[in-house]
Amino acid sequence: MKAQIALGMLAFLALIGVLVVVAIGEPERMAEVTRAFEARQIETGASLFEANCRPCHGPQGQGIQAVAPALNAPDLFDGSRLAAVGFGGTLPDYVRGVVAAGRPVPSAGTNYPQRMPAWGQEYGGPLRSDQVDALVAYVLNWEARALAGGGAPPTPSGPTVGADITVALPPGDAQRGKALSEGGLGCSGCHILAPVGPAWLASGTEPGIGTRAEQRFQAAGYSGKADSAEQYLFESVVAPNAYIEPGYQANIMPLNFADRLSSQDMADLIAYMLSLK
Amino acid sequence: MAIFRLHIPVLDQVKQKGLRPALKEKWVDVVTRVTAGLNPDDVRGVLRDDPPGRPNPRLTPHAEGFWLHMKPTYYHRMVDGFYPTFRLGWLSTFFGVFEIITGIFLMIYYTPSPLVAYENMLGLLSNVPFGQVMRDMHRLAAELMVIVVVLHMLRTFITGSYKKPRQFTWATGVVLLGVTLVLSFSGYLLPWDQLSLWAVTIGASMVEAIPPEVVGRNVNLLVRGAPEFGANGLLRFYLLHVVALPLAGIVAFGVHYYKVIHHGHSLPPEAEKVGEDTAKRVPMDSRVYFMPEILTRELWYVSALVAILFGAAAFLYNAPALEPHANPLVTPLHTTAPWYFLWLQGLLKVGDKVVWGLIVPGLLTGLLLVLPYLEVGPSRRYGDRRIGLSAGALSVAALAVLSYMGTPYYGVTTSPDQEAVAELLPQTHPGPLRSAPWEDLTLGSYEAAAWSSAPNATLQDLLHEFNTSLTTVLSPDRTDVAGVIVIEDWQADLKKVTLRVTWTNVADGSAGEFSESVYLHRDGRYGQGA
Repeated sequence: MKAQIALGMLAFLALIGVLVVVAIGEPERMAEVTRAFEARQIETGASLFEANCRPCHGPQGQGIQAVAPALNAPDLFDGSRLAAVGFGGTLPDYVRGVVAAGRPVPSAGTNYPQRMPAWGQEYGGPLRSDQVDALVAYVLNWEARALAGGGAPPTPSGPTVGADITVALPPGDAQRGKALSEGGLGCSGCHILAPVGPAWLASGTEPGIGTRAEQRFQAAGYSGKADSAEQYLFESVVAPNAYIEPGYQANIMPLNFADRLSSQDMADLIAYMLSLK
Repeated sequence: MAIFRLHIPVLDQVKQKGLRPALKEKWVDVVTRVTAGLNPDDVRGVLRDDPPGRPNPRLTPHAEGFWLHMKPTYYHRMVDGFYPTFRLGWLSTFFGVFEIITGIFLMIYYTPSPLVAYENMLGLLSNVPFGQVMRDMHRLAAELMVIVVVLHMLRTFITGSYKKPRQFTWATGVVLLGVTLVLSFSGYLLPWDQLSLWAVTIGASMVEAIPPEVVGRNVNLLVRGAPEFGANGLLRFYLLHVVALPLAGIVAFGVHYYKVIHHGHSLPPEAEKVGEDTAKRVPMDSRVYFMPEILTRELWYVSALVAILFGAAAFLYNAPALEPHANPLVTPLHTTAPWYFLWLQGLLKVGDKVVWGLIVPGLLTGLLLVLPYLEVGPSRRYGDRRIGLSAGALSVAALAVLSYMGTPYYGVTTSPDQEAVAELLPQTHPGPLRSAPWEDLTLGSYEAAAWSSAPNATLQDLLHEFNTSLTTVLSPDRTDVAGVIVIEDWQADLKKVTLRVTWTNVADGSAGEFSESVYLHRDGRYGQGA
């Protein structure tokens, strides 16, 4: 029995010892868990960005002209954008507010006619507040690289294709056109309405954009100038208001593609779209 | 005339007898009151293992006090050893109390709402001193409690202690087993991560199958508070976990323990004649008094166990890491019920949900409850109970097999390409890729087949494992199976890792592809208990 009392005492002392050891390590442990938590937030934010934000803001947040501004850009982090929109709070507050509530109206004087949708559940969006926080953490994690010279990709140099749909184009490469349509031009940011993916694919009874183009320029009520499917597609990209398909609105599609695409880009895009029957 | 008069008797005593004698008398009085009958000399005698006086003052706390009123004053020497009880009943009680204490600590930092429950868990781990170790202890003791309670029941069965006159004790024990299992199960949901949501969803999905449809639907509504788990379901499980079940458990424990003491701990089967029950007739020379021997032992057990549990939780054991926030729209691949309900999940794979998920388990539970009223053979001796003991052993084996069948290794059909990716990137735990050292994930694109030429051992291991799991994708329908891991620099301290499986469909020569990406941060710290 004396042994038991001694053992009990020893166990009690051991418990105190463990408590002390744990207590000494607690501040460091808590800091480490906090770091891990913040790291996981960034990871979660990255997946959410890929799933929800990439179509408009680009895969690396470099923005897409006329669709959505760059997030991976120095002006977001050096305070000049906050100053430009007249926001007096902190950057995290700004990003969280915009992600959660969206932008009810496009910013004046910018080339972004689309409104940012609300993403937070409290504003009718799909994301929980912890998901919004994760997105904010991910966007803010661009700071170092953005300030070190990230930012939007340069506007392509060299001659652009222009708005004349009758000019001769070089031979197109459909594969490269597909890549362009899914890449930095931002087409899929808006044309994502079909259940199967981009809206130019065939879906249900609706044929692909290639077949649609062949039918439309000959259809009654067509108001554009195209004499062929190629020209119809050319025109739809560089002068979208020339003909508005019933059920759609004018002035939604950016009007600047004539000045952004090279002849080769245009040829590749057309080749890709014509391949979609 | 004074408005009120303060009378402190000890001051009168001090005036009468002097300071020291009066204080000493008061001290003796206080100790005797606190211990419900032992004065300081008696206490010292207990601690020193002196022979008790006559009449034995150590019996008074059992007669006068609340805490020991159910504790017997002495035990039979034959039930005092490790055999036949293996101290399992005592251990169950210890773990029950331990869970209540650690549970109260955790309750302080928890709000049962889907809006903040997960955040509370993160706060508990990152901002509460001793928060993680408390959670680990609560979880560790819960797992051990399930094991101990089941073993306790098995022991009772094996030694035949459920037989007359202890049938009702057994029945209350089965109730306590049920309470323990459901307590543990209901606690699963509270962290509100993917693991909790889906493990509990599997368990709760059974009530939906209760026929007829109108009953199943409404019982499901009662359990989950809505067609699916949400705010109401979480609140219900929380209240079950912290109020209803502990109360039920405490009441059932009171009845159970009262019955145990009322009938006396049953002696080892070979110690008495068949049909006799001599547990209550303890000869003078076989008595082991609670004070001092048992009391001392229980105290040292408690301090040792608390120290062991605390040490284990602090240095060895981690409660399952928090998974991503619960998402009712995303079912993780290979979700399983808690291990002690895997046998149920196994039964569900046998056949019809109603028959195998409700009727069979219901019958089995009912059978367990009334076992002592059905199995009335008089002998408790092992040699006389070959059939019963064999049936018991067979049931244990069947439970083990069914539990295996409950795991994803049995009878789950998923596409092998997803399976191959899940090997490295499982959806229910961190897995090898997330746990790999971040620095070793050298940027680049690596073919699984060429694993041996990867730049470091970590990548070679990962690719080798990937390559091995790819063999399962190869089938008469699919050829040219290849796997690739692409590691990209994505952001400061953030890498994107993509696992891609490609193949050719033999039927039409078309290409097939499955890929999954994960983003890994330098400080992600997977697989380390947070």
